[in-house]
Amino acid sequence: MSEGEEATPSGFTRHGSNDYVANFSVSESEVLVNLVEQIIELLGERTDNHGDDPLAAMVGITSHDSPPDDDVLLRLLPNAYADQVDASEFRRYTESTLRAKKAAHAMTMRIDLKSSPDGFIEVDHEGANAWLGAMNDIRLALGVRLQVQEKTHEELEILAPDDPMRGVYAVYSWLGWIQGSLIQALMDDAL
Amino acid sequence: MVKLDEKIDEAIKELFISDKPWVTIVWDDPVNLMTYVTYVLMELFGYSKEKAHSLMMKVHTEGKAVVSTGSREEMEHDVARLHEYGLWATLARGDQAL
Repeated sequence: MSEGEEATPSGFTRHGSNDYVANFSVSESEVLVNLVEQIIELLGERTDNHGDDPLAAMVGITSHDSPPDDDVLLRLLPNAYADQVDASEFRRYTESTLRAKKAAHAMTMRIDLKSSPDGFIEVDHEGANAWLGAMNDIRLALGVRLQVQEKTHEELEILAPDDPMRGVYAVYSWLGWIQGSLIQALMDDAL
Repeated sequence: MVKLDEKIDEAIKELFISDKPWVTIVWDDPVNLMTYVTYVLMELFGYSKEKAHSLMMKVHTEGKAVVSTGSREEMEHDVARLHEYGLWATLARGDQAL
């Protein structure tokens, strides 16, 4: 993803009724693995406020009902209610399930990439949905770091070459492009 | 007879008050692609492309939109599924939502 790399990025295209294909370069694939592994790590059980009740853990009830301190985690695991009491109650019973589902999407993407070192990716509809969810989580995480909520697209476009966020923004845009190509391929189906 | 009717009326009223529908609201978010929001609404709710697209446009232009209505349990389920796919969603009582 260097500045001079203007070659057409490798997005997804549809091949057949339930077959979506992308052909990433080795370096693109490595970047994707790196990003998705960060998400998997991030979604690991929260260490703050850890619960010691194994029965509660078994049925998916977590001891924490407070929103995550980390802004990225808070965006990935948002409150379901405006009301704090309702939000806490809901979180207590659902947060670990949500984490597990997001982690499953990310694991699917990671396994697909790792099992295809040449970067050739082929997914069915279900796999495509997992990829979309995982890529979206990566973009949400990068978006928090980039402060896309506060900054305009134009401000992000003109980041100085030595600004470390410039590379982050390039990856963020690239992921959006891949995600868009997969959505396009899936939507063709619905026509 | 009048008394009985009144009682029935009251009972019906009570029933509706206690069973006020809840709503799932999707909020605008600068990260999520417009096509992605449309696609997720089609996938999760089985909405047509047209319906999903117009809901997405409502979110985009007005900042939020009600995407489903039903019981509290159903809306909790919908919000959980939307969160799974990264959409920014909350639920609320229908009469407190907008």
